[in-house]
This record gives sequence, C-alpha cells and structure tokens, in this order.
Amino acid sequence: MTDQDHPVEVQGLVVGYGKANVLRGVDLQLPANKTTVLLGRNGSGKTTLLRTLMGLLATRAGAIKILGLDPRRERSRVAEQVGYVPDRPDLWPSMRVAAAARLIGAHHTRWAQGRFEEVLARFGVEPRQRVGSLSKGQGMKAMIAIALAIDPPLLLLDEPFGGLDPVARDEVLDEMIGALGERPRTLLLSTHETGIAARIGDHLVVLADGRLSPVQSMEAILHAPEGPRGADALGALLMAGVELGVESAAEGGVQ
Amino acid sequence: MLPIVIDLSRAEPAWQQLLQGVLDRIAGGHLAAGAKLPSVRAMAQAVRLNPNTVARAYRELEVLGVVQGLPGRGVFVTPEGPQLATEQRGGVLAESLRAAVVAAAAGGLDSQEIQRVVDAALRGAAAPTAPAAAPEGNETA
Repeated sequence: MTDQDHPVEVQGLVVGYGKANVLRGVDLQLPANKTTVLLGRNGSGKTTLLRTLMGLLATRAGAIKILGLDPRRERSRVAEQVGYVPDRPDLWPSMRVAAAARLIGAHHTRWAQGRFEEVLARFGVEPRQRVGSLSKGQGMKAMIAIALAIDPPLLLLDEPFGGLDPVARDEVLDEMIGALGERPRTLLLSTHETGIAARIGDHLVVLADGRLSPVQSMEAILHAPEGPRGADALGALLMAGVELGVESAAEGGVQ
Repeated sequence: MLPIVIDLSRAEPAWQQLLQGVLDRIAGGHLAAGAKLPSVRAMAQAVRLNPNTVARAYRELEVLGVVQGLPGRGVFVTPEGPQLATEQRGGVLAESLRAAVVAAAAGGLDSQEIQRVVDAALRGAAAPTAPAAAPEGNETA
C-alpha cells in the first residue's frame, strides 16, 4: 500500500502568499517508520510546508496524500491521525492546560489520558495552569505532551525545540526518543538545531529557495569521507542550501 | 553499565560507535555472559540517539554472535559473547595499528622508529592513571 510505504506523499506542491510563491514545486516521499529531519533556514518555508500538509493552507498546485488522505478535502480526518505540533503554542489562552487537553483528546480515539499526565509531569508543567500564562517553552512542552498522548502513527513537529533552554531541550528530546522507541512511528521534524538533527534523524531533507532536496540518508551526510562531519556537516548544508543537498543526494539518496 | 558516549563528529557512524561501546563493555567484563542489555528504548534515551540507530547496532551485535535477542524478554550476552567481543576488539585494534604502521612506513619511518613511537604511546596511555583503571575507549565516567 502506498500510504504504508510513504505516509506523506507530495508532488509538485506550490504554495504562496500574494504574488510570491513560498513553495515552488516541492516533491516529498516520506519514508515510513523513520525520523526525517526537515532542515532549512528561518523563512525557508518549513512552517508553510507543515501547515500545508495539515490542510491549513490553500495550495496553488500539486498533489498531497497524508496516510492516503488529501488534507485539503479531509482535514479533520488527517487531524485525527496525525500528531501535529505547530511552531508556537496555539491552545486556547484562557483555558487550563488539562481542560485544553481533554477537549483535544475527545477527538482522538487512541487518546491516552494517563500518558498525557505522565509526560506533563516529567516536563514539569502544571496541568491547572492557564495556557496564556505559560512561557513559550512550557507551552511547547504542553503541546508535545498532547501530541504524544494522541499516540499517532505520524508526527509532524515544527521546531519543537524552539524557545527551549538546554535542559528543557534535552527533556523534550528524551521524551521523543522514548515515544519513537515504543513502536514504529513516522516523524517529520523541522529544525535548524543541527546537533539534535544529527542525533535523531534517520533521513534528511533540506528546504531552500522554495524547493526541497530529495530524501537523503543522515548517516551518509554525517560521516562522508571528506568535508565536515556530524553537526558541522548539517551546518554546511544549511548554509549552502538546497543546491548542495541535491548534489549529495544524487550520490547517497534514499529510495 | 558505564556510559557510552557517541561523538557524531567522528568518522564512524553512530551505530558503529555504539556497537564498539557495547563490545568494549562485554570484553571489559562490565557485561558478563547472560547479562541483559538495556532495551533499545532505554539505550536510545541513554545515548540520545534515534531508536532505529540503536536497533541497528543491536542487530549487528546479534550477527556477530555476541548477543541474542529473546522475543518478549530482551537482549542477552551469549555464553561465547565475552570471548567473541575480546576477539573483535583485538581485531579492530590490529586493523587500526596496521593502517598506522603502513602510513608510517610510507612516510619513511623504519621499524625501529615505529616501535619507539608505539612504546611511547603505550607509556603515555598508561601514565596518567593506575594500571587497573587504564582509559578504555570513549568512556567519560
């Protein structure tokens, strides 16, 4: 089945605001049960791509399939099956964290209340606190706790480490690694944190100039015989943009 | 088990570093025959790596015959695991030494000079700590 091989399939995607196209013909076949890092500089269109995959933005051209569904026509069904964490907390500010979670959980058949409470406690976020009074980092933690409690086969995380101090970043990373270790999950994670990307990614795609590189093996990039290694190799890719990504993918690309 | 540190700026991929780290623990006696390895999930969290990377290292250890996965129970060091791990570790050392010797010979050093460098390296490695606590690979603790 196609949606099993590639939980996310995108072809020729064009998305823009006004006269400008932010995504200018994006293709993506996301490997199942793997973690793929979406690397791109600020403003490269990472958030636009993830929001489009969730059916939250109109498209100008292209085909999208998320777990076999078209998010533009079946947005709520996609939302039920995908754990999506936007780049900034978007819960209702006046609501308490626990109430907001209950409301979201009601729409998800696999919602695990116990798990939500455990993760929240490990993150040190008080469930009785109002969403509006949380710091950005605490808000992100609450969102991630909710996304993990949905227990989804597909997770789309937009800069989940943004606004987190180093300790919180490690807490979130550990929680994410734990969730990936429980059962096979497909994760698409946008970030410009090259150190974390290098540790958690099986694969890598680079977004630059409105285009996306083919899916590449993280190992091939990190341990290339020549040039920078590890996080430095990702830093170089980030600076060079999609041109370098496309070139190296031609040699070490993933089918 | 002593911590294993993964350094992604090294030439070896993360899974190979982890495999080597576990081999070192088994060869060094920290994990005896019959000992249970941490679960993939626990190990992934301990070394902060993707569980797929840890699973790959565990699979390779199983191929080497050093560990055996028992469905539903976990991954255990095989009876012959310590012996195999010691051999593997010796093999890796021999390989890197051979590469270094070949490079040195190509650079014009004769065998006596190479021997002197090796002896000096051994003295250097042994000097900072007591013999029983000689540094072992990539441990931090």
